[in-house]
Amino acid sequence: MEHVLEVRGLVHRYGDHTALAGVDLTVKPGECVALLGPNGAGKTTLVRNVIGLIEGSADLIEVAGGNPRRAETRRRLGVVQQAVGFPRSLTVGEIVGGAAARRGCPPEAASRTIAEMGLAGLEKRRAAKLSGGQQQRLQLAMGLVADPVLLVLDEPTEGLDVEARRRFWNTIRRRLDDGAGVLITTHLVDEAAAVADRVVVVDRGRVVAEGTPDELRRTLPDRRIEVRTKLPVSVIRALDSVETVELRDGRTVIATTDSEQVVRTLLDLDPDANDLTVATASLEEVLVAMTHHEEVLI
Amino acid sequence: MNTRIFRIEVRDEVLGIVREPTALFFSVLMPVAFFALFASMFGGEGDGFGVESLATYGAFGVLSVVLINPGVGLADARERGWLRVKRADGTPLGVTLSAKVSAALPYAIVTLAGITLVARLTAGPLDVPQVLRVIGVLVLGALPFSLFSLAVGARFSLNSAIAVLNALLIPSVVLSGLWFPLEMFPTWLGDIAVYLPPYHLAQLALAQVEGGAMWGHVAYLVGTTIVGAIAAALAYRSTEV
Repeated sequence: MEHVLEVRGLVHRYGDHTALAGVDLTVKPGECVALLGPNGAGKTTLVRNVIGLIEGSADLIEVAGGNPRRAETRRRLGVVQQAVGFPRSLTVGEIVGGAAARRGCPPEAASRTIAEMGLAGLEKRRAAKLSGGQQQRLQLAMGLVADPVLLVLDEPTEGLDVEARRRFWNTIRRRLDDGAGVLITTHLVDEAAAVADRVVVVDRGRVVAEGTPDELRRTLPDRRIEVRTKLPVSVIRALDSVETVELRDGRTVIATTDSEQVVRTLLDLDPDANDLTVATASLEEVLVAMTHHEEVLI
Repeated sequence: MNTRIFRIEVRDEVLGIVREPTALFFSVLMPVAFFALFASMFGGEGDGFGVESLATYGAFGVLSVVLINPGVGLADARERGWLRVKRADGTPLGVTLSAKVSAALPYAIVTLAGITLVARLTAGPLDVPQVLRVIGVLVLGALPFSLFSLAVGARFSLNSAIAVLNALLIPSVVLSGLWFPLEMFPTWLGDIAVYLPPYHLAQLALAQVEGGAMWGHVAYLVGTTIVGAIAAALAYRSTEV
């Protein structure tokens, strides 16, 4: 199977509002794709189409080799969704055991996954009484129990502490090594950059950029220089390859496409310049620039 | 595959009812307590507060379970996002909904058993074949009401679903003569009963005891089932999980 997820020309409308305007998206086996974008970009609508909860119109939408609207196709997925409350009456063991049994897996699969997600010893506890982080791990356990070919994770690390996040990403890396594909949305852009093989940026219902985290970073001026200098902003702004200049807390912040050249020129013009640092643009800055939003992303 | 999923769904639903004592109280104990109250007020050995009353109060008991539980359970699952999890998990919607209805039936039978016990204590020995026929009719006749319950559960929030379903239950059972004989009502009020499905369910159950025409009531309940199925399908399609 070349792709565990293939979406071509997906359009989804809510009345007059077009939430998705012809989206293409693929995930290969063993590949982690991060779906990023501001609030209202269409990520959740896209994810809901992928997991078969809603149906837009598309030239092709194939998940794990089948139509996600079919229940048997969805049994090959592992899904973590946002804002899920577990039934008051069911225990951890019953929920994961039920998820395993629905897919024809033996009870050992449930025990193994419960342990893998750090929930061993909580099998008899009512799921609704778990902490937020434990509930998130429980939902992931449900998703992982049948060794899915595609994991669709919508804000999966929400509410997890540092140790739980580390454990979570280790689990995901193991599943990627085993050949599962992963589609993830997260507002923790640094986490996405660290794990994702590919980032897809969605804005206003369209894919506006796609590539590895490094490729996306290179779409912005590749360096940011911060320095204490007496040179006027107007002088710096006139230098070749300088994109923007601003003063911040007594330091001059320069965005440039050629940091080496700018640093050399700065030191020539102001030998007393000091406290100089050069930094790469962050993925979050790239996203802000691409989606033209200044508020927090996702 | 679907049979296995159905078994798991029914198990989960049954646990959901058993482990919620308040739900159990309203679904099972209240109709039995009502029957005991009315039996002690109006009944007595040889006064006919036996199988006939099982038909009418039993209809109320069944309705209090099948009209309330599936819809409230569905609204709760929707509101929690649990229905979304189930659908993404590959559980067919029809299996989820059938399980909610099926899980209510054992509680309806327990309710009927409780009412039968009270009837036995207040009216003396009962005709067992009659009792079994009445219980069979009431359980089978519950289907259309569970469909209306699902329609409400698919459309309303949890709190609204509880209110709407109770607003459907109480007036319809009273106006159908399930609590008090219709002869106690003014004529114009008693005439309303023939338009209400609970009346036909109770009359069909009564026909197992007293004889009399059944097919008119059967036809009415079949029609109600069709309308209930359409209502449930439309309600579900117009809502988002």
